[in-house]
Amino acid sequence: MSDELKQEQEIARIIHTTFKTAEVDIKRAGRLSIKLRSDLLPPFISYLRDYLQFKHLVLISCVDWIEDNEFELVYHVYSYEKKIHVMIKVRIDRENPKMQTILPFWDHAGTYEREIHEMNGVFFEGNPDLGEFILEDWDNIPPMRRDFNTVKYVNEVYEWRKGREDKQDVRETISKEYGEIIPDFDSEEK
Amino acid sequence: MSGIIKQEKETTLYLGPQHPGITGNMMIELKVTGDTVQRGKTHVGYLHRGFEKLMEERLWMQCFPIVCRICVPEPDPNEENLARAIEEIEGREVPERAQYIRVLVLELSRLTAYLLWMGGQAGSAGLYTMPQWTVGDRDYILDLFEELTGGRVYHMYIWAGGVRRDLPEGFKGRVLKVMDYLEERLLEYDRLLFENAIFQKRAIGVGVIDKEKAMEWGVVGPPLRGCGIAHDVRRDEPYEVYDKLEWEVISKDGGDVCSRAYVRRKEIDQSISMVRQVLDKMPSGPVYNPGPNPLKWKLPVGDSYVRTESARGEFGYYVVSDGSLRPRRVHVRGPAYVHGVSLLERMLPGMNIADVSFIMNSLGTCPPEIER
Repeated sequence: MSDELKQEQEIARIIHTTFKTAEVDIKRAGRLSIKLRSDLLPPFISYLRDYLQFKHLVLISCVDWIEDNEFELVYHVYSYEKKIHVMIKVRIDRENPKMQTILPFWDHAGTYEREIHEMNGVFFEGNPDLGEFILEDWDNIPPMRRDFNTVKYVNEVYEWRKGREDKQDVRETISKEYGEIIPDFDSEEK
Repeated sequence: MSGIIKQEKETTLYLGPQHPGITGNMMIELKVTGDTVQRGKTHVGYLHRGFEKLMEERLWMQCFPIVCRICVPEPDPNEENLARAIEEIEGREVPERAQYIRVLVLELSRLTAYLLWMGGQAGSAGLYTMPQWTVGDRDYILDLFEELTGGRVYHMYIWAGGVRRDLPEGFKGRVLKVMDYLEERLLEYDRLLFENAIFQKRAIGVGVIDKEKAMEWGVVGPPLRGCGIAHDVRRDEPYEVYDKLEWEVISKDGGDVCSRAYVRRKEIDQSISMVRQVLDKMPSGPVYNPGPNPLKWKLPVGDSYVRTESARGEFGYYVVSDGSLRPRRVHVRGPAYVHGVSLLERMLPGMNIADVSFIMNSLGTCPPEIER
C-alpha cells in the first residue's frame, strides 16, 4: 500500500500483536474500522486510550440488524495526535442485549449509554444512571428498534384530525367548508 | 419574604424549560443553598422530534429537508455532513466550485451563529443592547442566504453531489458589502462587550474548564480552544477546501468564559477573511454532479463517519447504509450533547445562580441537538 497509510498500517499491526481476534480494516486515510468480540471491549478501549493515545471519545452508536438478530454497538474514538478515527464495532445478542459500561474511561460515555438504553433497550452493566433521558413514561418497546412501527403507534395513541378519517384530500374538506376552488395541476390541458 | 436565607436549607430550583438564556427548551434542576448551586441535573426531552427514526423511513433525498431542522442557529453543518457522508459511501465526486460554495455557506452560517451567541452572551450578563444589535446585523447575512437559497434560516441548499444552484449574478459584491459593514460594526461590538469592564469582571475566572481534564471530558470546539488546546476539525481533518485557504487555529489559555469569548471573537475575524478568500479563489465550472433518480436512489452497503467544525465544536454524522432505498441508521453527534449534559453537570456545583445561563451560553448549549 501507499505511504500515506503507513501510520494506519502500523496501528493495525500493533493491535494485531495484542488482540489476535480483532479484524482491522483500513477504510481510508484517518479511518479505521475494527470488528471485535463483545467481551473484549473494555480492555480494548483501555488499551487504545492509554497505550495508543486515543483520548477523545466521539460517539457511541447502536445499529439494529434485526435480520441477524443482533445489535451492533459502534464506539467512535479519535486521536488528536495521530489524527485517526477508529470505529470499534461489537455485535451483541438482540434478545438479551447486555454490554459492559465504559464509564470508568470517559465521563461522558454515561450519557450515550443512557440514551442507547432508552432508545434501543441495551443494558449497560456497571452504569449507575440508566434512568429516563429523553422519553417520559414510555411503555412501548424501545423506539429506535427496527420493529417499532411509528405509524401503528401513532394510530393507537393519538387521534387523527377531523376530516382525515378516510385519507381524503384535505383540500377537498377546505373547499367544501369555505367554497374555494381546488386548482388542477395534474391535467395536461392548459 | 423576610430576605433572611437559611444557609443550611436546600431548595430545588427549576431553570427552564423556557429560559431566555437557553437556545431551545431544556431544564436544569438545581439544588441551591442561598444563591450557590450545590448540584444540578439536566433534563431534556422538550424538543424530541425523532428525526433519526424518521430518517430510517424516508428516501435518501427526503432526509435533507429534515436534517437542517436539527439546529436552528446553525443548520448548514447538518446538510454538509449528511451530503459528505453519502458521497463517501457512494464515492461520488463533488465539483470544485461546489466545494468553494459550500465553504462560503458554512462560514456565513458560522458568522450568523456567532452573532447570535454574542447577543446571548451579552444578554445573560445584563447588557441588553447587544442582542438588539447582533440580531439585527445577523439579518443582513440571512438576506444573503435568502437570495442564494430561498430560505432565511433553513436552507436545504447543500445536497449530495454539490449544491442546489450557482451563485446569483452580483452576489459576490453584495457579500463583500455585508462583510465590510460587519467589520465596521465589530469595532463597536468590541467597545460594547469585549472591552467592557462589566463583561470582563463577570467573565474572567468564571466557568473554568481544567486544561488537563478538557479532553477527557470530551470538550470540543471553542471551549477546548479556550483552554489553550489548538484543535480544529478544519485543520485536523480538512474537508472541502479548507486546506487551500490561509488561516490559523486560534487558542487562548485560561479556560474561562473570557477566553472562550476571545476565541470566538477572533474566529469572527477569521470567518470574514475566509469568506473573502473563497470569493476570490472560486473557480468557474459546474456546481452539481448529478446522481440517479432520487426515487430509485440506492446506496451501496457501507458506513461512514464525517465531521465538521461548527460554531459550537465538532459536529458529526454516522451514516449506515444497508443497500436499500432508505438509511439503516443516521446518528447525529452534536457538541452540545457533551457540553450540555455531562460537562455542565460537572461544572455546576459551587456556581452562582446568576452565572448558570451565562456559562451555558459560553459553552454553546443547544438542546435540539441533544435530542434530535
